[in-house]
Amino acid sequence: MKPHLKREEKAGPPAPVAAGPADPLRGQKETVVRWVLRLCALVSVLGLFLMVIFLFRESLPAWREAGAANIFSSEWSPDKGKYGILIFLVGTMAVSTGSLIIGAPLALGTAVYLHAYAKPSWKRFIGRGLEVLAGVPSIILGWLGFTTLVPLVRRFAGGTGMGILPASIVLAVMILPTIATIARDSLEAVPKAFAEASLSMGATRWQTLRRVTIPAAWPGILAAVILGLGRALGETMAVAMVIGPATAFPKNLITPTHTLTTKIMLEMGESTGVHRSSLFAMALILLALSMFLIWLVRRLSAKTIKGTSGGAFYC
Amino acid sequence: MRGYSRTIAKPEINTSEAGLKNGNGWRGLLEKKAARAAARARWAERVASFIFRTSAAVSLVVLAFIIGTILARGLGTALDPSFLFGKPQALKEGGGIGPMLFSSLYLTLLTSVIVVPLGVGAALYLAEFSREGRLVRLIRWGTESLSSISSVIFGIFGMVFFVIYLRFGYSLLAGALTLTLMNLPTVMRVTEESVRAVPGSYREASLSLGASRWETTKKVVLPAALPGITTGVVLTMGRIMGESAALVYTVGIFVRKIPLSPLQPAAPMAANIWHIYTEGALIPDWMRVASGEAAALLVLVLFFNLAAGALAGIIRKKMGIMN
Repeated sequence: MKPHLKREEKAGPPAPVAAGPADPLRGQKETVVRWVLRLCALVSVLGLFLMVIFLFRESLPAWREAGAANIFSSEWSPDKGKYGILIFLVGTMAVSTGSLIIGAPLALGTAVYLHAYAKPSWKRFIGRGLEVLAGVPSIILGWLGFTTLVPLVRRFAGGTGMGILPASIVLAVMILPTIATIARDSLEAVPKAFAEASLSMGATRWQTLRRVTIPAAWPGILAAVILGLGRALGETMAVAMVIGPATAFPKNLITPTHTLTTKIMLEMGESTGVHRSSLFAMALILLALSMFLIWLVRRLSAKTIKGTSGGAFYC
Repeated sequence: MRGYSRTIAKPEINTSEAGLKNGNGWRGLLEKKAARAAARARWAERVASFIFRTSAAVSLVVLAFIIGTILARGLGTALDPSFLFGKPQALKEGGGIGPMLFSSLYLTLLTSVIVVPLGVGAALYLAEFSREGRLVRLIRWGTESLSSISSVIFGIFGMVFFVIYLRFGYSLLAGALTLTLMNLPTVMRVTEESVRAVPGSYREASLSLGASRWETTKKVVLPAALPGITTGVVLTMGRIMGESAALVYTVGIFVRKIPLSPLQPAAPMAANIWHIYTEGALIPDWMRVASGEAAALLVLVLFFNLAAGALAGIIRKKMGIMN
């Protein structure tokens, strides 16, 4: 934004000149209201800072007594003073990559269908369906994965049926609505005239999508995928119910393993001292990861139309 | 916007055998090339169309499978009043989920009471009472970051801050405050969107009559934005209802009696399913209890989801807003 434009950016018209029967306290009242609302708005910032401070404080013993070299190693056995989180980091990466491989094409296909192919009635129906899917609690998806997917994998692939594959499938379902709705919104945000110009030149729908609409919406589509990734990184319950758990590097896609979130969830209740503290260190690393992703999305959104991208962050 | 037009313009080239044969020299060659390109494009279009339609169909089938399976397995149990309102059992068969159902509703209400005023206030500040500047940028950054954080991290933060540091103990209040932080970004976003959608002329009319900014916001902007805000809030309530990871270490996962005070521990349904999963072997009929509880939870969440849209419609009608 150019600095000399700042004045015009303020919300709404300027405050009016006071008129009518004067309320002597009116000015003060406005100030009080403004401050109260400002405090409300600052709660989110305050909450974020408190979270970072408290997670850091709790993880301090781990950094101090175990040290970063120990924490970023591959051996986890708290009894022997080994707090390597590499297993869980690998688990998290594997599971979220897997969910993207399965979920992202499906979600992007759905988004393109909704944008360019669906009749209005189907568009509304499937859009509503995506909202409902986004609302299905993760514990229910985990339970469903545990009772249907795991036996299925066990039957066809052997072993316990738990591991990265079922976790990726469950996560793919979870991130599907996130990616699909945000990608659809960014496709819809491309000015209609672009597509119309292409279609009127005789291009097919696919040619139009490939050469015009998708390139124009690309930063938004990328942001959608990254936000899906962020959701996959942080998901806990659904993954915990289908991934094993076991503290070992995954040998293949169907051996039990752990992710950062599932390790935190399962051991927070029964750990003390440096062990507990190292769980907080994991949480801090996860927090840093997701804030990095948000920063990435922000960079991408800066490339799209200003002001329309704000909504994408929260989904 | 409607889907792209279904008719594909065919190039004005005679692609019949005779037409291609009759063209001599360069002209014929070009026409042949163009015809081939057009054929290829039509073929690609068919393949693309098939792929996109299939992915949408798969998404829909997945949703239907989830809802269908959960309800088929648990709805019979869930609809039995002796289960839905019954006392839970830790070691015997035949337990119900009465206290869990109550905990879920209690927690959802308690969280909404805190998060809605806070979120609406914050959004009003951003949309009506502030100018783009360092402070607003900081607030937006904080809100975006907060919305990206995993729920289990909210959970353990709630544990160290509300449960231990502020000495609330495992309690509904600690859980509600944790969920407040977690859902604040959503409430802020839906409110800000609805408030920004109110036409500027409304504000100008009110301000020109001498109303102050707060009076305008209170009497003109907020009522006009109410349908949108309501939808968002009810959707958020559905999300709160289904949350589990943030509650295991703040509220609790199993109780025998209905919690009355917000300072008592409780066991919302979603968290209780986790309890059954981890320590289910103790309950002989754990499969029945968990399936029933999952179905009950899903029905509640779906209800909130569907109510969200309907409620906005009712409010619109009552207030006589046409759009």
